[in-house]
Amino acid sequence: MQVDVVAITAVSAIASAAVLLIATLGLAVVFGLMGVINLAHGEFLMLGAYAALLSTRHGLPFWAAVLVAVGVTAAFGAAVEMLIIRRLYGRILDTMLATWGLSLVLYQAAVMVFGAVTPGLGFSFPSVAIGNYGISVYLLVLIAIAALLSAALFALLTRTSYGVLARAAVQDPQMAAAIGIDAAQVNTATFALGCGLAGFAGAVLLPVVPATPGMGFAFVVKAFLAVVVAGPLTLSGTVVASGVLGAMANVTASVWSAVLGDLLFFGATIALLWRFPHGISQRWRLKL
Amino acid sequence: MTSDRKWNGLTAVAALFAASLLASTAALADDPIKIGSIFDLTGDLNIYGIQQSRGLHLAVDKINADGGLLGRKVEIVESDAQSQQAKYTQYANTLLMRDHVSALFAGLTSSAREAIRPIARRAKVPYFYSSLYEGGACDKQTFITGPSASQQLSVLIPWAIKTYGRRLFVMAPDYNFGTISAEWIKRYATDNKAEVVGSDILPLTVTDYSPTIQKIQVAKPDVVVTLPVGANQTGFLEQFAAAGLKSKIALVSSNYGSGNQQIALSVDAARGIVVSPEYVSSAPNPQNAALKQAWRDKFGTTDPIIGPAIDVWNAAMLWAAAVKKAGSIDEEKVIAALESGLTLDAPNGPITLDARSHHLVQSIFIAKGNDTRDFDIVEARDKVAPVFEQKVCDLIAHPLLAKHFTGLDDF
Repeated sequence: MQVDVVAITAVSAIASAAVLLIATLGLAVVFGLMGVINLAHGEFLMLGAYAALLSTRHGLPFWAAVLVAVGVTAAFGAAVEMLIIRRLYGRILDTMLATWGLSLVLYQAAVMVFGAVTPGLGFSFPSVAIGNYGISVYLLVLIAIAALLSAALFALLTRTSYGVLARAAVQDPQMAAAIGIDAAQVNTATFALGCGLAGFAGAVLLPVVPATPGMGFAFVVKAFLAVVVAGPLTLSGTVVASGVLGAMANVTASVWSAVLGDLLFFGATIALLWRFPHGISQRWRLKL
Repeated sequence: MTSDRKWNGLTAVAALFAASLLASTAALADDPIKIGSIFDLTGDLNIYGIQQSRGLHLAVDKINADGGLLGRKVEIVESDAQSQQAKYTQYANTLLMRDHVSALFAGLTSSAREAIRPIARRAKVPYFYSSLYEGGACDKQTFITGPSASQQLSVLIPWAIKTYGRRLFVMAPDYNFGTISAEWIKRYATDNKAEVVGSDILPLTVTDYSPTIQKIQVAKPDVVVTLPVGANQTGFLEQFAAAGLKSKIALVSSNYGSGNQQIALSVDAARGIVVSPEYVSSAPNPQNAALKQAWRDKFGTTDPIIGPAIDVWNAAMLWAAAVKKAGSIDEEKVIAALESGLTLDAPNGPITLDARSHHLVQSIFIAKGNDTRDFDIVEARDKVAPVFEQKVCDLIAHPLLAKHFTGLDDF
């Protein structure tokens, strides 16, 4: 096998892992940090994609459209937390039911507002050659985005006072309240952060995945599995889990078939959970 | 006095009765002929369903404007299947049993057709299925006005081999439309001394096409036959273009564009993709110009009209011609008239309803994606026969046949 085939396979595997990680980080914050199972995660992603798409159509440059998408989904997430999630803390099944309902409403609303086909971004990215093979420059950009986003999130949650407050409000709400932390406000901010990350994912994936009402569904199953495999150390666990699972599935799909890649993804999830029932990061000595 | 008044009252009541009786018999003669429609007006299939429904409404408007059928107006009883499989069974039963419709126009997906087919068969009512599909459906009550996979590919694949070269790669969705089409591509490749050098059969949920794109680059084909279904698979075309492959490898497809997918793509990705539909909105004939004008007037939109909408229009017009020919809406007589080799100057060219296979002999276009998110006609082939269906399905000789031929072994 030639060097360039190996190189392009490796790059595309890392890119797949990066795409999965970008789509998963928002869920990791909401589920891993807050313990809220947000079944509408995929629809928040979709919302971000449409927000970015409409912004570019109104003449904004793409990077500004991404910021608009983050703002819109974070604001919407904050509203959802105050109206729905806040009333259901500690009631996991009820939260699941409520967010599932929300996902159905958002999906149908998108079908009604945008129809099933929406004109796409209208511009495409150049490609680079690796030996005899080509790959989209944007996939390389996505790898960089995934790395920067993970680092920024880690810094936000471990180095800033908000990060300490957020973790305190979730880990021991009573003690946090006793020392004067407004847990409700902090939780709203954290949920909004998670939703904003989902919106960010939808927006930056737009050049690769066209905006459609059902686009979230394609990501949400694998994102959930990655977060469950990750375990208690939300961030580092998620980075490793989506890295390993995403890259493995991609290589399998390249060499054999997409179906086998999916099978391997699900098979590996089962095997990892069987070996590490509380997730792979259970014994790691890291902060997050 | 009192008895007089009574008498007057009685005559008044009698007159009223007589009048209402007269009115009801008059209403009977003027009672509209009801036809049933089930399309996906909401949900993720409404990208096709809304246009299919519009096609039917325009056709019925035209039939009524031309004086109706047998002196009666035609009326559509419309249902919305909401892109849900179970609704097709439910509404087909309702339309046939409650509304006693004389014909049924319904469905986009093959699963919808297979749900409706036995219901129409039991009710002995002609059922029109109007969409491109994998081919091979064969049933006395079912009439198919969309092109079959082999009908489209019999034109597209030889053209692609002649134009681009002998190495083909197939990208297809992982269900019967995709896998059956892939078999046909292999067959037409072999018949034309070409080779399928690789294929990737993909689940509809895949969004990351970098593995497929790598396989294509390693296989080094001259042309990729791509059959994207659903919004996710449209992403493949964007990613193919972004990998810089369009300058080296041609893209051809039998189904891309049938739901106006070119609108969702960037111009760079959509340019140059070659398709083989039964209809393009730039089809150069007066019937098409008239239809496009009527469409704009009624719906106020200039979005390109898609093939399935024309398939429904053709179905309604063929049914109307059959009713006129039979001089009756009796289902058995109408089916007999439908099996009399009806022809029509349709918006997509001259069509003939093949009596034995219940499929259409119709035009297949070779068209190329342009910079305005539409297609330019490269070549128009008139009267392309559904060769496979004609070979396996003879409903004149075997009227009791009810089968879905899928294997090429039948060929």
